[in-house]
Amino acid sequence: MDERLRFAERMAMQFHLAMCKNCARFNSQLQEMRRLFRVETNMDETTPGLTPNARQRIKTELQKKLGS
Amino acid sequence: MHTLDAQTWLAEHGDYLFRVARRQLHSDELAEDAVQETLLAALSAQARYSGDASPRTWLTGILKHKIVDLIRRQVREVALPHDPDGEEAVDLLFKDDGHWAEPLRPWGNPHAEAELSQLRRVLDECADRLKPVMAQVFSLREVGGMETEEICKELNITPTNCWVLLHRARLFMRQCLELNGFSKAGAT
Repeated sequence: MDERLRFAERMAMQFHLAMCKNCARFNSQLQEMRRLFRVETNMDETTPGLTPNARQRIKTELQKKLGS
Repeated sequence: MHTLDAQTWLAEHGDYLFRVARRQLHSDELAEDAVQETLLAALSAQARYSGDASPRTWLTGILKHKIVDLIRRQVREVALPHDPDGEEAVDLLFKDDGHWAEPLRPWGNPHAEAELSQLRRVLDECADRLKPVMAQVFSLREVGGMETEEICKELNITPTNCWVLLHRARLFMRQCLELNGFSKAGAT
């Protein structure tokens, strides 16, 4: 999940996952969770974007910076 | 011309940047701050923008740093929570001998876009329910794809603490997703 394991560790992990069904399932669920999260880096247009207020505020800040 | 650029960025990429930030910061206000700081930084740095990458990619790169900055500031303010509730919840998942207390149910394998989008909504809601620091460490890793080591270093928390936070967050998330519809539909 997070870092590359050494060969012996990788073998031990494979062996453990082969024996422990719950662990294997847990592992694949974490992978699935990550996949769903990351695919979504092409953000879903259905989630809310900036509110008009926030947009206006940022616009003003940009103007201020340009004026200074 | 300058005005045009910065305001165009806001108009064209503001929502996108906000969504990316919102997903990792779990707060509307912080996400707005992140967008604002990104655009201000972009304005100062635009001489260095080579035009090789698309504006969106370039802005997203800046945003990434701003998100980490904001989280770092927060981590300092909040300090690491000692969280008895969280510990208890995690303990319930395992027996004393370290084995899983209950068998894990399989999840479905959805492909339909509508279904996926529903699951992502659940995903966001669950992530929002994590304790703040935990949510952010988790999101930097899972959404932002930052290396764990980098996250710990950037946030200046010990690796042990960092791993514990990440692990707890994952256990919580898995549980939350399961309770909110992930285990239904076409189980494999």
